[in-house]
Amino acid sequence: MSGQRSLPHSKEALLKLYRTRLKDDVKSMLENFEEIVKLAKGEHDTQLSRMTQCEQDTYEMHVRAANIVRAGESLMKLVSDIKQYLILNDFPSVNEAITQNSKLFRTKQSECDQKLMSLRDDIAADLYDLEEEYYNSINK
Amino acid sequence: MPYSVNISVEAPIENQIHEITYDGTEIYQPPLSLSESLSKYAQKIDFSKTSEVEVKKEFSETTEDNKLEADSKETFQSNLWPWDTVRNKLRSALQEVCVLADVLAIAKDKRYMVLDPVQQEPLETKSMAQIYARKKALSGAANVLLTGAERLKTSQTEAARNRTVPDFHIELLRLRQNWRLKKVSNTIIGDLSYRTAGSKYIQTGTFEVSKTEEDEKPATPPSSPSPLSTGPVVPKTNTALKVSIPSELKGVAYIEVLCRKDQDDLCSANINLLGNGHTTTHPDMHWQQKLEAAQNVLFCKELFNQLAKEAVQLQAPIPHMVVGNQIMATVLPGIQLIIGLRHSTNVEKKPANSGKTEHDHVLEHSLHQLLREVHHKNTHHPFPHPATGPLGPSKKRMCAGPMAADRYELLEMTKTETLLEQIIKQAQHFFMRMRTEYVLDTIAKEVKDPLISSHWNTLNSPTQSCVKINISTHGYDALCRTPLVIHVGEKTLKCICRDGKVMYMSYEPQELRDLVFCHINQHQILAVQALAKTMGWQSLANSNHLGTGAVEPLGNASSCLLASPTGDRIIAVRCEPQSGVQVSVAHSPRTDFFPSRLVTERKWEHLGGQFRDVRLEKMEGRNFLHKMELLMASLTSNS
Repeated sequence: MSGQRSLPHSKEALLKLYRTRLKDDVKSMLENFEEIVKLAKGEHDTQLSRMTQCEQDTYEMHVRAANIVRAGESLMKLVSDIKQYLILNDFPSVNEAITQNSKLFRTKQSECDQKLMSLRDDIAADLYDLEEEYYNSINK
Repeated sequence: MPYSVNISVEAPIENQIHEITYDGTEIYQPPLSLSESLSKYAQKIDFSKTSEVEVKKEFSETTEDNKLEADSKETFQSNLWPWDTVRNKLRSALQEVCVLADVLAIAKDKRYMVLDPVQQEPLETKSMAQIYARKKALSGAANVLLTGAERLKTSQTEAARNRTVPDFHIELLRLRQNWRLKKVSNTIIGDLSYRTAGSKYIQTGTFEVSKTEEDEKPATPPSSPSPLSTGPVVPKTNTALKVSIPSELKGVAYIEVLCRKDQDDLCSANINLLGNGHTTTHPDMHWQQKLEAAQNVLFCKELFNQLAKEAVQLQAPIPHMVVGNQIMATVLPGIQLIIGLRHSTNVEKKPANSGKTEHDHVLEHSLHQLLREVHHKNTHHPFPHPATGPLGPSKKRMCAGPMAADRYELLEMTKTETLLEQIIKQAQHFFMRMRTEYVLDTIAKEVKDPLISSHWNTLNSPTQSCVKINISTHGYDALCRTPLVIHVGEKTLKCICRDGKVMYMSYEPQELRDLVFCHINQHQILAVQALAKTMGWQSLANSNHLGTGAVEPLGNASSCLLASPTGDRIIAVRCEPQSGVQVSVAHSPRTDFFPSRLVTERKWEHLGGQFRDVRLEKMEGRNFLHKMELLMASLTSNS
């Protein structure tokens, strides 16, 4: 799209930021999951005692699981941010809405004008008769 | 190898040259002494590289080392600097060795410390336990994941199920479709000013859009946000969107237009662009209404600002006054137009004089329209006719060159009317119309005999209207009618009479009154003449402005003389604006003739006799013309 190219730098940077956020979050999910799987294997030699190691693994798994959840929520936030960005910067749709609105109001206006005109004509005709009647009557 | 050349590498025997004198003799540095060269080599030793093995070796020969160290310390104490690092290393080594010796001494005693052999094999744990532990850890992690997923899912389904609460983004989209929004860092800023519509008012109308907090949402089902309907919407609407408006735009504002005559309100109109005055600022009003109210406030402020500026700048014969939130301008002598800005932020407070608004809202609408027109003009410039021409000058001025306009015409073009002038003109016209109406109605009420009917023209402008007056007699409409057309302007009245004469009158109602009365008299005389014609009578004389008789306070009396078909009867009619109609009758000749010495023949009786007044009020007949018809008929038949 040629319109995309003419975006100002800040917008472009923002879009890039969205992309990196997406990649980061997905990567974080994947990495954390991989780490959990690795931990589940449990093949690493350390100097710690087994119990301590187990405890550490448990803790690490929890943290990594929480990390995955956080990444998911961050993705949700990203979705909402992108939605917001789209809504605020989608000028074609805004223009469409404006045209539609103006069309609607124009038709409304002409409708109102028509109604007012017909009303005016009716009232004018009636007023003439009423004036005639009033000024020709005895009781004024 | 036999072919290789032996190269011996050795230090030069010579000492380093310290200085070369001018005569070429070289002065050598004295050779290093033994101790000096030792320290030089010792500096080159890197002690950090000494391996543990060496250290251990050192430990094993503790005592010897100690001795050696003590020796070296004594030896090189004098030459501190070059040996400093060496000394430090050795000292720390000594310390460690001392500590080790102490530990060993204590361990040997076996009273305070026991040395156990280090277990080489790790503790044998059961593999099942390990698996259980791992399983537990995994299930814990899974739990965390599941709860997280559950939370996401519920938040999604909540939004899907609760269709009653519109989604923030949908709301935002609606808002975006109707208002200008932009994102500034983390906040969404909107603009409700009329600047894009051509307004040049300095005050900004920015508002902030934010998401409603979850607990703030009321639980009642909302009405769907319809951005186009400005009608009464249930005030308690659930919206996911919150709009915060600057405090100076909060509340309800309207422009009050009052016409005051000698401190007495004649009419008042309240401008409130939202229609009725009962719009109150509800804290949880729908954003559309909230924004519209704020926009209205901004508009009213701009309008008032503009009017106040003009009021100060305008050079009026009676200067306009601007006091606080009120502008006072004199429309007609004794009548003032008061334009005030009312802005109430209080929810409870109702517009103070809502009861006085029984009048039409013409001035309200006009003011509104005038500013809109200014806005429109600001954005819609006439296109330059050669496309390369300057933008801005009006079409009229474009033609000024080819049409050879003179200075006066050009000056006329530059004149523009301010809003205040225009609204004053409209108010003036309003008063002129009201006065004209009043005068015509009172005359119609006062004068019963010729019927005065007025018809107001439907086509009129804010500063010009037209009324057609018909003076006719009931039952004799076809015979004679006197039409009058009055153009009501801003300060003057223009009357076009039956005979095409054009009269200009000022704003004083008395002038119109006099004119109408004058025309009533003329009508009576003309109608009598027309009637006479149909009756076969002859019109002898007719004067609209009779010079004889008592002097009238206004205008002149008009009269006419009518003669019967046979010519023996004459009717004289005299109409006076003040005293009404006088009718006199003369018989000639008298029915009986007796010759006398003076009048010897009957023919002299044709010269006319004495006029006798007719008491019209005693006569039969519905109106003047009817009576005249009866009179003429009776006079004709009698002959």
